[in-house]
Amino acid sequence: METVGENSVFETAALEHVDALYGYAMTLTRDKTEAEDLVQETYLRAVKAANQPAPEGNLKAWLFVIMRNVWLNVMRHKHNGPRIFELDGDEQTSGTANDATSNPHVVYLRKLERQQVHDAIAELPDAYREIVLLRDIEGFSYHEIATVLDCPAGTVMSRLGRARGRLREALAVRQKVQRLHA
Amino acid sequence: MRNCEDIRERLALYLDNELQGDERVTVEAHVQSCFSCAAFVEKERAFLNAIRGNAPAHTASPELQAKVKEIMSGSKQVAPQPSRLKWILPIAAAILVLILPVIVWRVVRQYNHPENGTPSGFALMAAESHLRHSRGQLPLEMETTNPQDISAWFANKVYFNVKLPSYQESSGQEKIYTLEGARLVAYQNDYAAYVAYRMKDRPISLVITSDSVARPSGGEEIASRGLRFHFNSIDGLKVITWSDRGLTYALVSDLDERGQQSCIVCHEGTKDRDFIEPLKPH
Repeated sequence: METVGENSVFETAALEHVDALYGYAMTLTRDKTEAEDLVQETYLRAVKAANQPAPEGNLKAWLFVIMRNVWLNVMRHKHNGPRIFELDGDEQTSGTANDATSNPHVVYLRKLERQQVHDAIAELPDAYREIVLLRDIEGFSYHEIATVLDCPAGTVMSRLGRARGRLREALAVRQKVQRLHA
Repeated sequence: MRNCEDIRERLALYLDNELQGDERVTVEAHVQSCFSCAAFVEKERAFLNAIRGNAPAHTASPELQAKVKEIMSGSKQVAPQPSRLKWILPIAAAILVLILPVIVWRVVRQYNHPENGTPSGFALMAAESHLRHSRGQLPLEMETTNPQDISAWFANKVYFNVKLPSYQESSGQEKIYTLEGARLVAYQNDYAAYVAYRMKDRPISLVITSDSVARPSGGEEIASRGLRFHFNSIDGLKVITWSDRGLTYALVSDLDERGQQSCIVCHEGTKDRDFIEPLKPH
């Protein structure tokens, strides 16, 4: 069975993902110092587990899984429960916000300023911010995201749809405010 | 041609490159011929590009990169110390001399009997999926005991038709296993169909993909009813792979029966006599 690997091949490959992991850590923690600690702890765990089977040979997804598990453990100790999962109840009851055509401001998205996108993403609930990062920034497939989040692919689709719906709404509001002040 | 409502439901998957084969071709053809859906796709692309192009890009500080490199270089320290190496090397050399004839014999044997080679990647993936499902790490995305529900569920998710065997029902034999449900699993940058069964309180996994993606190989090869079955033992699991009518299957179980005998457990029905006879050990 394929393993994550050993020695310099593993080291070189794992180091390629430092920036991506730091970005994910910032998404999870929203704090620079905590994020840096999380990245280091992730690599420590990865080194210890380097001889275990890699999930379908995908080193990057494997590192993200480790980071998420470390973070969930941290959160359990802090709050007696993982904060990142709080959204799941919301997903069962909230309506869909996935129809871009109902939002007339979407046509202005090409003119969005970078800061608006940053702010809109930052204001998303944790689980939505996380899935947008995994798909739209890191480019993971639905299946890889399902592996990282340890959830069914169907949940990935629905959560991503709702996260993007929230983003559309937030960006449309910012566009509207911008035009009013123009 | 599907209508716009059907297509719109698939557009998020299309834009995320999650559609393959016929499904992708159908959506692309519709978008090219439908002004309304083309405009929708253009707006969605603009939105996704705005997110992807303007999302915050985080870069690890040089200090963090240095700490991570230090952690990773620490992984090399598991190598034996020189003082131990002095003894280990002659011992390792002696062991190598002893086992070399065995290694050579196995290589030659494998060369002369390729059917006893290593399992295919598809068989390995099936075994790993089975293990992960058994440990609760690969939950089912849909649960049913009806084979037709499974086929319908996969209809829009994989580009091949998933038709489950129904010999238990057709042969009239006693019901000895039950269907539990299904999910998608990744293989070769695509989705394969994972179907879970249970027999005698033990899980059985059936993984299906197109034979253009995976072909059965390795292990002990046995022909029966025009099909060629490959039997492997992987991590203590029995894995049987075969191709039939454009699809490749991998059946995984931890049944006690050896190799092909595990087939007989399910196929003991009278109508399957001609099928199982060649599989019985001689």
